Amino acid sequence: MTRRTSLAAALATPILATPVAIPVARAATPSERPLFNAKHWRLDNGLTVVLAENRRAPVVAHYVFYGAGSGEDPAGLSGIAHFMEHMMFKGSSNVPTGAFSRAVAREGGQDNAFTSRDTTAYFQHVESSRLALMMRMEADRMAGPLFNPAEFEAERGVVIEERRQVVESQPRSRFRENFDAAMWGAQHWRGRPIIGWMDEIRAITRADMLEFFASRYAPSNAVLVVAGDCEEARLRDLVGETYARVPAREFIGRARNAIPAAPGEARIERRDPATREANFTRAIAAPSATWGAKQHANPLEVLGHILGGGTGSRLHRALVEAGLAVSAGAGYDGETAGASIFSISATLRQPTPREALEAAVDREIQRLLTDGVTEAEVARSRRQLTAGALLSLDGIGAAPRILGGVLTLGLPIEDAEHWPERLRAVTAEQVNAAARAVLPGQLATTGWLLPA
Amino acid sequence: MNTDLPPRAAFRLPIRIIEEAGITAWLVEDPSVPVIAFNWAWTGGAVHDPVGQEGRLSLALAMLTEGAGPLDNVAFADAARDQGIALQFGAGRDSASGSIRALADAWPEALRLARMAMIEPRMEARALDRVRARAIVGARQALETPRGLVSRAFWREAFPGHPVSRSSTPESFAAIPAEGLREALALQLRSQGLLVAAAGAIDEAGLRAAIRALFSTLPTGAAPAGPALPAMARFARSITPKDAPQSAVQFGQDGPSPHDAAWEATQVALRILGGGGFSSRLMREIREERGLTYGIGAGLDVLFGRAIIVGQASTDNATAAQMIELLQHAWTRMANAGPTAEELSEAVDFLNGSMPLQFSDTRRIAGGLLSLMQNRRTPEWLAGRPARLSALTLADVANAARRFGAEPLRVAVAGQPQGL
Repeated sequence: MTRRTSLAAALATPILATPVAIPVARAATPSERPLFNAKHWRLDNGLTVVLAENRRAPVVAHYVFYGAGSGEDPAGLSGIAHFMEHMMFKGSSNVPTGAFSRAVAREGGQDNAFTSRDTTAYFQHVESSRLALMMRMEADRMAGPLFNPAEFEAERGVVIEERRQVVESQPRSRFRENFDAAMWGAQHWRGRPIIGWMDEIRAITRADMLEFFASRYAPSNAVLVVAGDCEEARLRDLVGETYARVPAREFIGRARNAIPAAPGEARIERRDPATREANFTRAIAAPSATWGAKQHANPLEVLGHILGGGTGSRLHRALVEAGLAVSAGAGYDGETAGASIFSISATLRQPTPREALEAAVDREIQRLLTDGVTEAEVARSRRQLTAGALLSLDGIGAAPRILGGVLTLGLPIEDAEHWPERLRAVTAEQVNAAARAVLPGQLATTGWLLPA
Repeated sequence: MNTDLPPRAAFRLPIRIIEEAGITAWLVEDPSVPVIAFNWAWTGGAVHDPVGQEGRLSLALAMLTEGAGPLDNVAFADAARDQGIALQFGAGRDSASGSIRALADAWPEALRLARMAMIEPRMEARALDRVRARAIVGARQALETPRGLVSRAFWREAFPGHPVSRSSTPESFAAIPAEGLREALALQLRSQGLLVAAAGAIDEAGLRAAIRALFSTLPTGAAPAGPALPAMARFARSITPKDAPQSAVQFGQDGPSPHDAAWEATQVALRILGGGGFSSRLMREIREERGLTYGIGAGLDVLFGRAIIVGQASTDNATAAQMIELLQHAWTRMANAGPTAEELSEAVDFLNGSMPLQFSDTRRIAGGLLSLMQNRRTPEWLAGRPARLSALTLADVANAARRFGAEPLRVAVAGQPQGL
């Protein structure tokens, strides 16, 4: 069912309309001050190190991102990247199971981890004098986690309960899974849930996990980000004593299967007795900052805001203000590995017939394609998308997430440091070109979740 | 891998107390980042929602940012979003609150919008129609999951006859007349009885000016407090049937008053039993060792000046009985035997060490200060906390656990639990 092909092959698959020749939206030379003013360098073993110094409070955030997420789950083993994230807390060569989290707690810190389609990240927030301890323990599990066999089944149970809690008990999450699988295929990397299908979570073995670790968790496929109260010289010393000693390893880069030419199902309707609301969703395959007609990525972000970015957006006026929907939105995230989606969603306001809501969405899209957006709309969106950029300097968690997210995708650090400028450079002409290239795309699915 | 670590630096939050126009404000000024967080709260809240109109205050407060003065809802939202201003109002069970977070450059505009929202909300019929429809859907969706159902059942059983036992429903939102919203605002938006906390790029003069600008033209007087909260009722295990793969469990009992000498000993006992993170007894015994849940925890919640202990977890319907038995067992064991010396020292280390992290951005600082004020703490109380925590003995914590464990644990379940 699944074909494992290289990203290069995926790039050759013509799923999108002919790319329009327009200049790259990115600002040619970043002129403003970089947002985080981060320093970055690479170790001999390939690990990328990033420091975003911020001396305002005596605390540090310590993050390690791996360039492997659920998009890298092998066929039939969906959920392995996420299950492995859980098992990474079960001890490593020199740290007994649970000891890492216990040490963080003892220091008054917070630790956790998360898995997305593109990355798996582990982090701790601690008082700055405790950074060295965090780095020793994190480097130890980078070198060799145990995946303790005695704890494997109990942790599988935790993951299964997580799936029941966040997916199976929630009608809209259940629907979203169905929707993605219908559009991309249940075994396609974009069609599988990050947490994995239940029967595949049950099938994952420790040997599978060791193989996934060996092929993906190399220092050269990882990014270390330290933000907060730490000087460069101190970080260089600490890195030398910890991460620099992790042996270099080969790793397998992202090799995601090709994008289908057409959706598995162009339209789905699911009735669910657990909900009393009717929800509309449409997704259209779109390029991203790493894939396809990349020049559309920033304009698509502006387009998402104009069409469905809250109060004052076109869909808000046409659906919510008009009384057809309780809520409506559109969105796009270009910072992803491989194909992205442009999505539209709305919750029907009873007793509106759902045909009326869908017709209003179609009208808005048609109007966009026919008349385009205005320069005033683009100016408003550029302003609103970037107005709060400096707020990410308040606190220590935002910088590592933005920096680590961009670098793990292989994008330049400037994409994180100068993201407000990238968006401020977008023109109405670019937004219109992106809309015409993407919105009529054939790889698209429309879905309704309906009460039974 | 344990190595010698330097002693942690003593942490001190430089809180200044300011009195302006009869209002007490706490300020932590920090010009190093161009951000201001400003939070305020007053006693009152949803407790005054009439029977059958639950959700009235929250609906009324939602209307404040749906157009005010010369600005319709879109113009109002644009004015805020053009400058990255976050302005919110919210209703709690026993209090209500407002908050602003903005860049320093946007502060004058943030104040203008917040003041306009309180003094001249438009309360237009079309906007109300929209906001009410959204609230009704929200209430319906809360009833879709075992978690939403179990929380409602718990409050209903725990405090029968008190307003906190009532939750908003689609029907209660539908029944609120427009005039009732104006009544709710007239009752609760007052120039007295306010607590204010601010942090970030704002100095004393700026704070005083903000307090005058926001509150001085509100009607005088303070919002009334609600009826005192009675002791938690003892109830037999409540089960709300719901067709779902998991059972959601909510459990709790009475805690000590926030001014009881055993307050911190109780916090330590609960940290050991069911605190955040992965190392509590409940997380270890129910999640880590047996894989029965994704997460389980319990903590203190202060309401009407009283503390109650509340915890939550979800598990497969087939293991609901087993999980509740393990929970009850862990609870009783803590009440009978207290913590070990190692647990005590780890919990105290956590609570002391986590102080700087609780105050690492302006929003958390302002929010944290406001919580302290709502619990009638002083800066000296905060400064003395590490020493008090470090002085706690095993007997102190065991006694605190025995006190809350003397009562049976109240348990509510929603789902299709087997074996109960």
